[in-house]
Amino acid sequence: MSAPLVEIENLNVRFHGPRTVHAVNGVSLRLEAGETLGILGESGSGKSVTLKTLLRLLPENRTEIGGSVRVDGVDILSLDGRALADHRGGVASMIFQDPMLALDPVYNIGEQIAEAVIRHEGCDKAAGWARALDMLTRVRIPSPERRLKAYPHEMSGGMRQRAMIALALACRPKLLLADEPTTALDATVQIQILLLLRELQREFGMGMIFVTHDIGVAVEVSDRVAVMYAGEIVESGSVRDLIRDPRHPYTKGLLAANLHGAVKGARLQAIPGAPPALDAVPAACSFAPRCPLKLASCDLARPPVAVPAPGRSVRCVLAG
Amino acid sequence: MSAPTSARTTLSTSKAGPSTAGPLLSINGLTKHFPLKGGLFGQSRGVVRAVDGISFDVAEGETLGIVGESGCGKSTTARLLVDLISPDSGSVILGGRTLGVDLTVRDLRRQVQMVFQDSYASLNPRLTMQDAIAFGPMVNGMARDKAVALARDLLARVGLDPGRFAGRYPHELSGGQRQRVNIARALAFSPKIVVLDEAVSALDKSVEAQVLNLLADLKAELGLTYIFISHDLNVVRYMSDRVMVMYLGQVAEIGPVDALYAAPAHPYSQALLAAMPSMDPDRRTMEAPLAGDPPNPINPPPGCRFHTRCRQADAVCSVTVPVLHALPQKGHLASCHLHIPGSGHTGAAPRTELAP
Repeated sequence: MSAPLVEIENLNVRFHGPRTVHAVNGVSLRLEAGETLGILGESGSGKSVTLKTLLRLLPENRTEIGGSVRVDGVDILSLDGRALADHRGGVASMIFQDPMLALDPVYNIGEQIAEAVIRHEGCDKAAGWARALDMLTRVRIPSPERRLKAYPHEMSGGMRQRAMIALALACRPKLLLADEPTTALDATVQIQILLLLRELQREFGMGMIFVTHDIGVAVEVSDRVAVMYAGEIVESGSVRDLIRDPRHPYTKGLLAANLHGAVKGARLQAIPGAPPALDAVPAACSFAPRCPLKLASCDLARPPVAVPAPGRSVRCVLAG
Repeated sequence: MSAPTSARTTLSTSKAGPSTAGPLLSINGLTKHFPLKGGLFGQSRGVVRAVDGISFDVAEGETLGIVGESGCGKSTTARLLVDLISPDSGSVILGGRTLGVDLTVRDLRRQVQMVFQDSYASLNPRLTMQDAIAFGPMVNGMARDKAVALARDLLARVGLDPGRFAGRYPHELSGGQRQRVNIARALAFSPKIVVLDEAVSALDKSVEAQVLNLLADLKAELGLTYIFISHDLNVVRYMSDRVMVMYLGQVAEIGPVDALYAAPAHPYSQALLAAMPSMDPDRRTMEAPLAGDPPNPINPPPGCRFHTRCRQADAVCSVTVPVLHALPQKGHLASCHLHIPGSGHTGAAPRTELAP
């Protein structure tokens, strides 16, 4: 078996400031080449922070990162200078929720894509522009020749999202990191972008990590899903297992709160309370204060990771 | 914030009591166009047809869901309902009284309250929760101690212990708690109707479910009527009795929620429902139901506004504007030439004699 494309071992991320935030606490995950992993979680669960670590996008002077992060065999945490710049956009690339912030407003789309290709592949300008045109065609932007010269503000929301995907994939990265790329889009546009990403992922044979708060979106794109809560992965497994047979009480609660197939008039099985403040490293189960199935032992120690079936893991004492 | 005085408020209020028959709220031909300024010397460069002649009724005690994509006019509709913006034409009739004729803005807003999406922006950062809720009643003449008692009572009612929360400021609360305060504030006037404009959309899913339960409880206790605006079709199905689908400022379809979700008649409603994630990894969506983005409401297409994206569009669709037409199921209407007999659409039934 070949080495995995992404291997994260015991990742810990702390942000220092007026107060210390323990954003990610002991996250381990693997991604095989060509696989799609969905990371599902609510705001503050650490899903985006985990993703940004893979490109080292977190502010250096306020962030303390522990553990090991390897992408394609390279230790990301030790990268520096040119090597880090080669990694960003060359090996791994990212798409964001707001393309207006990811694209440069004063350069047209063609210039931005060509610049990235020239920087990473050392080709000439003509080849860079040829690649830009090819990419716009692949992301199905209508009349791509004309759109090469368009500026981001001249495009609609869905079109900008496509342009950002074209830019991210222009250098054929092995890993695509997607941070809620469809959250701001309308439903009928969202499904177009999800289908496009699924197709391009197959075509380019990329690995993809897709961060979202929307279970429905995760189900549409992922092979495997990891559910995060308070900086920890509480459950992971194939998307089928997770949807049909969730084992962690938090995953069960999230599925119920999605309202898919909820009976009108029946009370929703809401998870009471709110996520914890991440002021300290969790010493017990982070979900215990909100958990309907809590045992006395849940408050005493962090539950171990149980493996109820091959390829599944659940951080809950009841799942063993 | 005091209500801006428009010309309407100076009109005399008739003492005629509200009629008991008929809908609680009736909207007729409501239209709002926003002129686009910014051309040379500030001249207009066209208009955004945000809401273009919509009509609907809301019965007492029901929940009407409004769905549609960004730019379809659902939030403008909400703002028109409480006169935060004034319509260019059309009428708002509440309990048989027409806004601007025998109903003042002040009366309207006592009976129709609104909760917005951004829970933080809706609260004054310098007012405690208790003062924020008591402010409205005090402006309307309630004594301070009475208003404060009411505020504390309402806080308890929305599940926030007044002992802990009454003295807090907005930044000291979570998003879900702030939205509970906004709901409490909306209830301070004992309104008949609460307009919820994406009120739960910014909340995390687990918190959203708590607030939806609260809304259901309050409705049952107080006999409220909701107008529930959301882009989340699952939430709208759960909350609503009837649902209205809007597209580019117009009503595409309106009907009982179960009938509309089971058999959407308008091609746009069909596409919107088909675009919902399947929640089944073995039956993923394989083809996008619609291509492209919604067109710009500045220059909406002629004829049926949806014809540029519609797979079933015919020659007639780009010429004639379809009107809302009754479907066999009672209370279910769609504005699509396919469902109007004799419309000229090749898929439509031939014109039949009207039944007596």
